[in-house]
Amino acid sequence: MTGAGQNALVVADVCVNIGENKIINNCNFRVGRGEFVGIIGPNGAGKSTLLKGLRGMLPLVSGEVSVFDHPIHRLSDKKAARLIAYMQQEVNVGFGFTALELVLAGRYPYLQWWQHEREEDRRIAQKYMAFTGVEDLADKPVNQVSGGERQRILLAKVLAQETPLIFLDEPTASLDLVYQEEIFRYCQSLCKEEKSVLIIAHDIKLAAKFCSRLILLAAGKIVADGIPAEVLTVDNLERAYGLQAAVFLNKITGNLDIHTYAVSDKTTRKPHIHIIGGGGAAGDLMRVLYENNYPLTAGVLQGGDTDAEVAAAFGIDYVEGISFCAINAKQLLQHRKKIMAADLTVLGNICYGQQNIENLRAAFTAVNLILIEDSSIKKRDFTGGEATCLYRELAERSGVVVLTTEEFVSRINNNISLLGEQGSSERSVVY
Amino acid sequence: MGKGRKNKVLVMAGLGLLLVSVSLLSLGAGQVPVPLMTMLSILGQQLGLAALTGAAPTPEQTAVVWHIRMPRILVGILVGAALGVSGAVMQGVFGNPLADPGIIGVSAGASLGAVIAIALGLTAYGMYYMPLFALLGALLAVGVTVALSLKDGKIPVMTLLLAGVAVSMLLGALTSGILTFMNEYRLREFLFWMVGGLDFRRWEHVLLAGGPVVVGIAILCLLARHLNILVLGEAEARSVGLPVFALRLLLLFVASVTTATAVCVSGSIGFVGLVVPHIMRLLIGPEHRVLLPVCALAGGLFLISCDTIGRLLISPAEVRVGIMTALMGAPYFLYLLRRTQKGGGLS
Repeated sequence: MTGAGQNALVVADVCVNIGENKIINNCNFRVGRGEFVGIIGPNGAGKSTLLKGLRGMLPLVSGEVSVFDHPIHRLSDKKAARLIAYMQQEVNVGFGFTALELVLAGRYPYLQWWQHEREEDRRIAQKYMAFTGVEDLADKPVNQVSGGERQRILLAKVLAQETPLIFLDEPTASLDLVYQEEIFRYCQSLCKEEKSVLIIAHDIKLAAKFCSRLILLAAGKIVADGIPAEVLTVDNLERAYGLQAAVFLNKITGNLDIHTYAVSDKTTRKPHIHIIGGGGAAGDLMRVLYENNYPLTAGVLQGGDTDAEVAAAFGIDYVEGISFCAINAKQLLQHRKKIMAADLTVLGNICYGQQNIENLRAAFTAVNLILIEDSSIKKRDFTGGEATCLYRELAERSGVVVLTTEEFVSRINNNISLLGEQGSSERSVVY
Repeated sequence: MGKGRKNKVLVMAGLGLLLVSVSLLSLGAGQVPVPLMTMLSILGQQLGLAALTGAAPTPEQTAVVWHIRMPRILVGILVGAALGVSGAVMQGVFGNPLADPGIIGVSAGASLGAVIAIALGLTAYGMYYMPLFALLGALLAVGVTVALSLKDGKIPVMTLLLAGVAVSMLLGALTSGILTFMNEYRLREFLFWMVGGLDFRRWEHVLLAGGPVVVGIAILCLLARHLNILVLGEAEARSVGLPVFALRLLLLFVASVTTATAVCVSGSIGFVGLVVPHIMRLLIGPEHRVLLPVCALAGGLFLISCDTIGRLLISPAEVRVGIMTALMGAPYFLYLLRRTQKGGGLS
C-alpha cells in the first residue's frame, strides 16, 4: 500500500472553513516520503486549521486530500488513524491518566472494539517512550509531569500509532530551547525512517535548521513553499509577517538566521548615507541606519569580511573588493561614485593597511563626512604612518565631524539630525 | 505497574468485603433484630440450601429478613451501582469531574414523569405506573437535550450542558405547575418520590430494576476502554480513530437508561453519582476498566450504608436515603468546589 515513489500526502485545491469564515484558501502541495515539512506563518494564518483539514477533522469546502492515494474522507476512522498520527495543541489530561496509559491510547486504531491492549502494544508503547526518553515516567500521572515531559509523552503516543505520516501542531509550544531542539531532532530521525512529518512551528529559525522544507502560510494562502533558503527571504517574511527582517547565513551556527526589527517611520525622506567600512568596523553602523530606514550604500568591503556579510544580509548596495587584495581601479571608481551620490558619508573605525588605504583616500570625495573614532588612528595604522597623515588631514577639513560609534548610534536612534538643510552647500553638519 | 495493579485488586476486594458486611449488618439490624446465625439460616432456607444452623427463625423474622430487608438492600445496591457507574461515565463523556446524569435532564425528566403519574391518579392502579412514567420522562428529557445540541453530526459538550440546564428548567417548571394543582395527599406522594427512599421496596422492584441496571452496567464496563480515549478530548479521540459521535451517543443513552431505571424504583437520589466516582478516581486512578466496576461496588456500598444509618438513626422513624446521601455528599461537593477554586484543579 505504501510503495516507493508514492506521495505520502497530496493536497489539491483545499479550502477549509470554520463556521462561515474561509480560513484556508486553495492550498496545493505534495509531501513525499521522508520529508520533514515545517509549516510556518503568523498567528491566525490558518496553520492549525490547515492541519485539521488535512487530517479530516474539519470538513473541506472544496478540494481533496489524499493519503497514500486514498482520499482521506473515504477512509474509515481507524484506517485513517493508522496512516496519520496527529498531535494537537490541547489534550485533556486532567483526569490523571498515567503516561503509559496515555501512550497506549496511540494503539487504539489497531484494536478491535472488544480487545484490550495486547502485550505487543505495551511493548510498542514502551519502545517509543524510551525513544523520547520518558520510560521512567510510565506510572506517573501526566498532570504531574513538567511541560517538557508532557510534550515528549504526547509525542511517544503519536509515535505509538506507527503511522507513515505524522502531523504535529506546535509540539514545542511552551518548551525551553533544549526541549524544542530535541523534538525537532526526534522528528528528523523519524524522517530518516521514511516517515513524513508535518510540523507547525513558531520558531522560524529552528524550523529552518531542521526541516527539509518549509511552507509559509499567510492569511490562509501559501506564500512560499520550498527549501528553507528559498522560503525565508526578506520579501516573503515581509509579505507573510509584515516583518522588517534581514536573513543571513549565521557563520557561527551554520544556519539561516533572521534579524528582525521594528518598522520605523517610512514616510519622511531620510538622507542617503554611504558607509566606508571593513574588518567589522561598520556592522553596527549599517544595522542601526538600516533599521532606521536610511537609504544606504557601502564600500569597499572585502569579500568574506563580516561587514560585507552584514551589507548583504540587509540588502545594502555595496562595492565588493577581493579578499586580501588591494582595492583596484575599477572598485575605486565605483566607490567614489557612490560616495559622491550620497548626502553623507560615514567613515568607520577602520584599521588601515595597503589593501584598503584607498578607502581613506576616497573619503576626501565626500560632500559631508562623519569620522567614527573609537580608538586613535595611530593604533589603527598599519601603513607606516601614511594613513595617519591622511586621516589627520581629513579630520581638519571644515565641516567634518568626529564621533564615537556610541555617540553616532545614539543620535540616529534619538532621531537627531545628522545633516543640515538638504542639499545645502554648506559643508557643515548640524548636531 | 505491579504496584498499581495490586492497589486496584486491594480496593476491589476491600469494597466487596465491606459490601457483604454492611449488607449482613443491615439485614440483622432494625426494629426486629435478627441474630447473625438465625439470619444465615433464613438465607439458607430461602435459597434452598440445607439449614446451616440449628437456630430456627420465627416466621416474623423470616418475613422481615427475606421480604422486607433483603429486597430493600438489593434495590439499594442496584440503584447505588447504577448511579455510581453512570456518574463516572458522564464525567468521562463531559470531560468534567462535576458532571452527573442529572446534568442532561435525567432527574428533571423522571420527576415530571412521576408527577404526571401521580396527578393522573395512576399510582392507585398498580406499582409499575410511576416507575414507567419516570423512565419515559427521563428518556424524553435526555432525547430532547441531545437533539437540541446536535449539530453537523456532532454533540458539542458545552452546548449539551447548556441544553441540559435549559431542558431541566423547563421540565422543572412543568413539574411545579402540575404540583400547584394537586391535592395534599398526592403532593405528599410526590414529595416521597422527590426525596428518594428504599422503604417498602419489594422483590418486584428488584426484578423491575435488576435487568436493565445489570445489563446497562455491563455495557458501560465493556465500553470502558473507549471511554478512556474519549476522556482525552474530542480531537484526540478522533485522531486515533475513535467514532466520537457514535460512542458519545451510546454512552449517554446507556447511562441515562441505567440511571433512569434506578431512579424510577428509588425516587430521585442525589450526590451518589457525583461523589462516588470522584473518590474512587482519587483512590485507583482514571482507568475506566477498573474505575467503573469499582464505582458499581462503591455506589452500592455507599447507598446501603446511608440507608442503614438512616434507618437506625432515629428508629423507629427513619431518615430517607435521599436525604442521607445529600447530607453526606453535599459537604464533600462543597469541599471539591473549594479545592477547584484554590487553583489546584480537579484531579
